[in-house]
Amino acid sequence: MINLRNVRKFYGALEVIKGVDITVEDGEFAVFVGPSGCGKSTLLRMIAGLEGIDDGDLILNGKRINDVPPDKRGIAMVFQSYALYPHMSVAENIGFSLSLKKVPEAEIRRQVEGVAEILQLTDYLDRRPAALSGGQRQRVAIGRAIIKKPALILFDEPLSNLDSALRVQMRAELQRLHRELKATVVYVTHDQVEAMTMADRIVVLNKGVVAQEGAPMSLYYQPDNEFVATFIGSPKMNVIPVAVTRPAAGKVHLHSPIGLSLDLPDANGAVQQGEAKLGIRPEHLKIAAEGQDHFTAEVVIVERLGVETYMTVGSQQEPIVVRAEGDIAVRPGDRVSLTADPAACHLFDSAGRVIRSATA
Amino acid sequence: MAVVSPSETANKGRSDLIAYAILSLISIFCAIPFFWVLIASFDGNAQLFLRWPEQWTFANYVRVFVKEDGAKWLFNSLFVVGSATLLVMVLAGLGGYALSRTRAWWKLPFLYAILLIRVLPPTALIVPLYKFLLTLNNAEAAMLRPIFGSYTRDIMRWTGFIDGYLGLILVLATMQLPLALWIMKTFFDGLPKDYEEAALMDGATLIQRIRRVLIPLALPGLAAAGLFAFMSAWGDFLLPLILLSSPELQTLPLGLFRAFLRINEIDYGLLTALAFIYLLPAVVAFGFARRFLVQTFSGGVKG
Repeated sequence: MINLRNVRKFYGALEVIKGVDITVEDGEFAVFVGPSGCGKSTLLRMIAGLEGIDDGDLILNGKRINDVPPDKRGIAMVFQSYALYPHMSVAENIGFSLSLKKVPEAEIRRQVEGVAEILQLTDYLDRRPAALSGGQRQRVAIGRAIIKKPALILFDEPLSNLDSALRVQMRAELQRLHRELKATVVYVTHDQVEAMTMADRIVVLNKGVVAQEGAPMSLYYQPDNEFVATFIGSPKMNVIPVAVTRPAAGKVHLHSPIGLSLDLPDANGAVQQGEAKLGIRPEHLKIAAEGQDHFTAEVVIVERLGVETYMTVGSQQEPIVVRAEGDIAVRPGDRVSLTADPAACHLFDSAGRVIRSATA
Repeated sequence: MAVVSPSETANKGRSDLIAYAILSLISIFCAIPFFWVLIASFDGNAQLFLRWPEQWTFANYVRVFVKEDGAKWLFNSLFVVGSATLLVMVLAGLGGYALSRTRAWWKLPFLYAILLIRVLPPTALIVPLYKFLLTLNNAEAAMLRPIFGSYTRDIMRWTGFIDGYLGLILVLATMQLPLALWIMKTFFDGLPKDYEEAALMDGATLIQRIRRVLIPLALPGLAAAGLFAFMSAWGDFLLPLILLSSPELQTLPLGLFRAFLRINEIDYGLLTALAFIYLLPAVVAFGFARRFLVQTFSGGVKG
C-alpha cells in the first residue's frame, strides 16, 4: 500500500504539487490522469525517487521513504521512452539490475528466462532493442521492471509511443499482466480512455491538486467538479450556462439563452436561484419525440458513423455535442428538436463545484 | 514516376557522360599528387616528375627507419598526438556531459567563447603562448633542479612545457578541445536522461552508470570527437616547430620539413617515403571516423 500525505513540490517559488493526498491499496491498478502540466509525471517521479519531496510524507507499506534512494525503495519504473540500453541484448537489458547486484550468471539467466516466458519474449532474448517492434520493446521495459519483484510498478505514459491499434492491444495486455502478477501499479497518462479502461482507481489531477479520485464509473457518474466532469468521458460533457429560478418548492427551473428550458427536482433545496452551469453528456441529449418538452437548435457539424451519429448544434462559439444512437440523416443547417434527460443533468456553481449530481 | 520520353533519355545519357567525364578529370587532377607520393616512395631513383619506377624497392623506407630517425619521429608523433587525443576525449566526454545537463545561464556564452579558441589563428597567439609556456617551464625547472640535479633534463623531456612532450600535448589538446566539447555536448543533448534514470532505479552507482551505460552510449560521439582531434592535431606543424627543439623530440612533419631543407640535394625517395608514412595514420583514422560520423551527426542513439 502506498500513501501520499500532503505531498508538495516546488520549482523555485513555483508550487507544482500543492498538497496531494492519495492512497493506493495493494494489488490496485491506479491511474493518475490529467492534462499536460497538471503535475502527474512529477508526482510519479517523486514516488520513484527521481525528484525530491519538499513537504509531506511518502509511505510505502508503512515505511516513510521520502529520503530512501530510488533503488532501495522497492519500486520499479517503466519509462515513456522505455530507455532500453541499445548496446545490450534483450536478456542483458532485463537482467541489468541483477547483474549490478553481482547475482551469479546462471541465476540471472534463470530469472530472465522466467520473466521472458511471462512476457512472451523467449525467442527475442538475444536480439538488440533496435531489432524489436514497438510492442516488444514495451514488453522488455516491463520485463526490466518486474524482474526486480517490486512492491510497486510505476508506468509513465507507456503507450504514448505506440500506434492506436497497438495501444488497444497493449491495454489488454497490461490488464492481463496486472491480474497475473497481482502487482500494485501506478500508471500515469493524459488519455482518459486508458484511465477508464484499465484503472481500479483513477486520480484526476489538475494544476497540482487532486481534482477527484475514485473508481472509473463513480467519476463518470458523480463528478465532483466541472473539471472532472468534462475531462472524463468522450466526447466531453456539454456545459451550458443557465439561469436558475425556483417556481415551486422541491423543484428548480433552468433556462438557457439558447432556448433550452428544463425543470429539475430539487428536494433539499441545495440549488440557489441565479447563475449556474448545466452539465449534460452528449449521450443524454436525445432527439425529442412528438409532444415531449424540447428545444430546437441548428445543426452545425454532423458526423455519421453508422452505429451512432454525432451532431454539433448551437453556435460555433458555444457548441453542444449530441450523440444519437444509430444513423440519423441530418445535414448542417437543419434544425433539430432535442430533449435533455433531467435525471442525467449535473449542476455546477460558477466556480465549477458540483451543486447537484445526476441521479441516474 | 514521371514519364520520360526516349529523346529525353538520350539527352540525359549524353549530359551524364559529360558530367562524369569532367568529374573524372577533376578527380585525376586531385589524386595525382598522392599517386606520385606512393609511386616515388618505391622508386630507387625518384624524381620530381611522375614516372613509372625502373626498379621497385623498399630502400627509401629502409633509409627512413635505419639511416634517419624515422622510427623515433613516428613514435613522437603518435605519442604526442595520441596523448592529446586521449586527453581531449576524457575532458570532452566529462565536460560535454556537464554542459549538456546543466541549465546554467552562462552555458551558451561559454560555448561560444570556447569556440573562439578554435577560430583564432594559432600563429597569432604563438608569441604570448610561447612566453607563457616558457615561464611555466622555467618555474618547473627551478623546482626540479635542486631535487634531481643533472637528471632534470631527462625528466623535463617528458614533463617540460618547452621542448618537452607535456607542453606540446597540452597545447594540442587545448586547440582541439572546443570542437570536441561541442560535439559531445550536442551528442549528450540527443541522449535522453531516461537511460541514466533507468540505471539509477536499477541500483547502479555513479561509476556503474558511467562505465556500463554512459560510456557505451556515448561511444560514437567520443569516437567522432577523438578522431577529429587526432586528424587535426596530426596535421599540425607550427606548434611542434615552435615548441620543440631537441632532435630526439621531433615529430614526423618536422622530420619531413628538415629533410626537405637539407642543403646538398633534395632526396625525393626519402621525402615521399616519409610523406607516405605521415599520410597513413590520418587516412586510417578517417576510415574509422566515417562510421561514427554518420551515427553522431544523423540522429544519435536509436534503441
